[in-house]
Amino acid sequence: MHPGRQLAVLGLVFVVLYLAVFFAGGAKGSFTDRLEPKLGLDLVGGTQATYIASQQGGVPTQEAMKTAQEIIESRVNALGVSEAEVVIQGNNTIVVSLAGEAEDQLKDLSQAANMRFRLLTGVTGDVAATAVNPPAPTPSASGAAPSASAPAAAPSASGAAPAATAKPSASTGGQGGGAPAPSGEPSPAASAPAAAPSEPAAAPAPLSADNKKLLADVEKKIGAKAWTAAEKLTAPVDLSTDTKAGLPFKEFSTLSGAEVNVLPAKMQYNVPTISCDQLNQRPNGAIDDPNAEVVACYSGAKVLLDKAEVIGDDIADATPQLDQTTGQWVVSLDFKSAGQSKWTELTRKAFNATSADPCYTAATQIGASQHCAVAVVLDKEVISAPEIQGVLSGQSQITGDFNAATAKELADKLKFGAIPVNFEAGPMETVSATLGIQQLEAGLLAAAIGLALVAIYSFFYYRLLGTVIFLSLGLSALLTFGALVFLGRTMGFTLTLAGIAGFIVSLGVAADSFVIYFERLKDEIHEGRTPRSAVPRAWQRARRTIISANMITILCAVVLYVVSIGAVQGFAFAMGLSVVLDLLVVFLFRHPIMTMFANTKAFMSPRVSGLGRVLRTQSEEPTSSRVKEA
Amino acid sequence: MARPGLATRLYQGEANLNIVGRRKLWFTIAAALIAVSIGSFIIRGFELGIEFAGGTSFTVPVATAEGDLTQEEAEQAVERAVTSVDPEAEVHAAQQVGTGDSASYKVRASALTAAEAEEAKAALVQDLGVSADDVSDNQVSSAWGDAVTEKAILGLVIFLVLVVAYLIVRFEWRMAVAALASLMFDLLMTAGVYSLVGFEVTPSTVIGFLTILGYSLYDVVVVFDKVQENTRGITAGSTRTYAEATNLAVNQTLMRSLNTGLVALLPVGGLLFIGAGFLGAGTLKDLGLVLFVGMGFGVISSIVFAAPVLSALKDQEPKIKAHNARVLARRAQRSGDVAPRAERTRPANATESDEVGVLAGSSTPRPGARPTAKRNTSNRGGGAGNRPSGKRR
Repeated sequence: MHPGRQLAVLGLVFVVLYLAVFFAGGAKGSFTDRLEPKLGLDLVGGTQATYIASQQGGVPTQEAMKTAQEIIESRVNALGVSEAEVVIQGNNTIVVSLAGEAEDQLKDLSQAANMRFRLLTGVTGDVAATAVNPPAPTPSASGAAPSASAPAAAPSASGAAPAATAKPSASTGGQGGGAPAPSGEPSPAASAPAAAPSEPAAAPAPLSADNKKLLADVEKKIGAKAWTAAEKLTAPVDLSTDTKAGLPFKEFSTLSGAEVNVLPAKMQYNVPTISCDQLNQRPNGAIDDPNAEVVACYSGAKVLLDKAEVIGDDIADATPQLDQTTGQWVVSLDFKSAGQSKWTELTRKAFNATSADPCYTAATQIGASQHCAVAVVLDKEVISAPEIQGVLSGQSQITGDFNAATAKELADKLKFGAIPVNFEAGPMETVSATLGIQQLEAGLLAAAIGLALVAIYSFFYYRLLGTVIFLSLGLSALLTFGALVFLGRTMGFTLTLAGIAGFIVSLGVAADSFVIYFERLKDEIHEGRTPRSAVPRAWQRARRTIISANMITILCAVVLYVVSIGAVQGFAFAMGLSVVLDLLVVFLFRHPIMTMFANTKAFMSPRVSGLGRVLRTQSEEPTSSRVKEA
Repeated sequence: MARPGLATRLYQGEANLNIVGRRKLWFTIAAALIAVSIGSFIIRGFELGIEFAGGTSFTVPVATAEGDLTQEEAEQAVERAVTSVDPEAEVHAAQQVGTGDSASYKVRASALTAAEAEEAKAALVQDLGVSADDVSDNQVSSAWGDAVTEKAILGLVIFLVLVVAYLIVRFEWRMAVAALASLMFDLLMTAGVYSLVGFEVTPSTVIGFLTILGYSLYDVVVVFDKVQENTRGITAGSTRTYAEATNLAVNQTLMRSLNTGLVALLPVGGLLFIGAGFLGAGTLKDLGLVLFVGMGFGVISSIVFAAPVLSALKDQEPKIKAHNARVLARRAQRSGDVAPRAERTRPANATESDEVGVLAGSSTPRPGARPTAKRNTSNRGGGAGNRPSGKRR
């Protein structure tokens, strides 16, 4: 109950946000340039790239094109919350359009997506955040010291099928909390995978001249001391014993995806300050080389993967099936004859591994029970990591917690891995806006009209209290705008016309929390309370309703944002943003203002506050004209 | 005491409209509307936009013999050409691709057969006076990938599960079911309107549709919040049946519901007005339309559908059933020794059917009427009365 303090907090939020808008996240140009939100494809146009797809030298099948479209779409969506458009044109062309100048981003979309089967030889938690900012050494009860090798808790695999048992790749992006640290740390001595011993200085893929130069730059950037320390690592740095162990490697956390990519795989894996985010930002095709050890991310943990013994080309077919005996969905996997022997060899290695093998330890960390796991990697993503349940010499099955849709999804991806579609990048051109400035202006006009209508109505209905609504909406708008500009720069959030419309709609919802509150206030005064005592009471009641109701909207936004892709994701983000900012204004602005209001004389006068009419008097003027408007 | 006009009583949350009591009527209407909607889905289906159904894309050069084309001219030319072969076809806004001499306009139109596309291309060549080599047509797939739809539906399902869980925790399972029923009703109605009228379904429509989700539930939650407050400890007293208490809550939040509806629909109305009135088509109109229809239904259903469904469900609960019977029995007993009320003068704008408790001889308290007991037993939330008012922080 310190109106002044709450307003001060709001002021602080404002100042920080606008400082960020003007000076952070790569702000450049004049002041007006820094105030430009990133507009979408439909409003300002952008860049369009054409990719001609081919499959084994010929025209791809319809299905392959569809999967290719999805793969490109997911690559585009990985660039941030920008609403790209991916269209199949004709029978072998994919056209991608992105807002603004996006040539760099479009450049590496055309990498063919390759599938690789790699033995999982190491798992270590993604502890970059804590490695860079170690918790205070005081033994706080929060227990923030992560165990260096605690992967995200994976649901233990179900189904005792006679085949590879898989947890489906977490398509929902759910990341379990850290599991308790497994006791069996891979001893440094056994850091080489049991079979195919790649010598400690694992032969990385030969670097191109460009990459050699980049590597030299990275070395300089990191500094000799940290570089040498990183080269000496034989196992992931264990932060559980020394929370500060990650500090010498702090510089690594500043590397871009391309820079991380030129580091030796072992280094990418061992250095605690390299995060999954950085790994995911590596260029497409970063881990395609079948003869190199690579590092990837799987359900929130960093995983070290052996050379690819089996590749997508070895797959003959993959189909989702409903297992009649168990009633569970499985994915059955057939290999070509040459691939079959390689697969059998790989599964033998995985199945017969003993607890001394690093892959055994790694597998137990992702929830496997007694055998090693083989990671199925498509593009840069580990789509599944089934535990191998036997030496598989015939048709194999991947079981797990599948439903019809997820089984089909995995089968499609496996099939796609079997016949990769290659893309040839066609021309890259600028495209004009489809809607253009006229529509943008119309949208802004609509927003102004909406705001005006809400303002007029609230003045009419709530008289002086209308000013509170009006001011709050103005504040919300300013906050939203600042957030848009900043997020456009840092997250690539693009504002489309649909987004603008969404914000207009949120005006009404924002105004509604006032209606709830003022109606409560009326009730309280109706009860015979004085305005001064009614305000806090009404606030308490209304607060509960407002939070419950807004929780629903936030829930909707979060779920859609996490699950969806493309335009829906952008929309969910906008919706969530506006609701959160609205709540901020409700709590930090309206409430203190009303508290101050309640102490003024004017508020007591029914004429002014619009609340007085609830005090029933005999001389109640008939207000039947109102009902027509309502 | 003279009773004030309906508007005033509405304003004061005392309009006393018997909404919950007419459950059967609302359910009948709702069932009829749902049947019409579903019938329309089956018979008429939906008018899918180019982004969903795919289409034909035409490329025409910017530079022609008669000088450069503007974006608008290109658009109109393609529209003429396409509608000449298929009067139903729609055309999207043109987009300039590339710059300088090689610049061209790309215009997307509804899907055409190969023969139709060829014909349209010929018409276009003739119309613009360019060489046939410079104009190309291509089938394009849907821009809105199946993956986006799938993931959106998945998100929707997860959201509904979570929301039900949340409502069960926050209220109770019956309220969760009623809220969900009301949401489904809104979505069905909106989709039904789209299917019946044949509005085009575009990505904007889908996004608007998802917006309705949150909004429709939002409204219901506000009403249920009040219902919960009014029915807390209802079984302790014996003045009101559950349905009457619910009706009272609906009446008390009626003004708020109407206000909310109005305040939320005003900006959307502005959107629709600008989108459809000034621009004739496009994103703004699509969004404005779906939101206007959906929110409209959202406001109506939170009043006349969600609460009746809730009371119907609650009346099945043994505890409430017993309570209702007790209340009615007590009333019957009391009405025996209460003299019939005199006719009251009623304002002209309130019709007989608007009101409950006006049947002479019944002493049912009007919803919203103050109990005749002392002031502080008022049921209007928060009186320091004898009604347990629950813990509030």
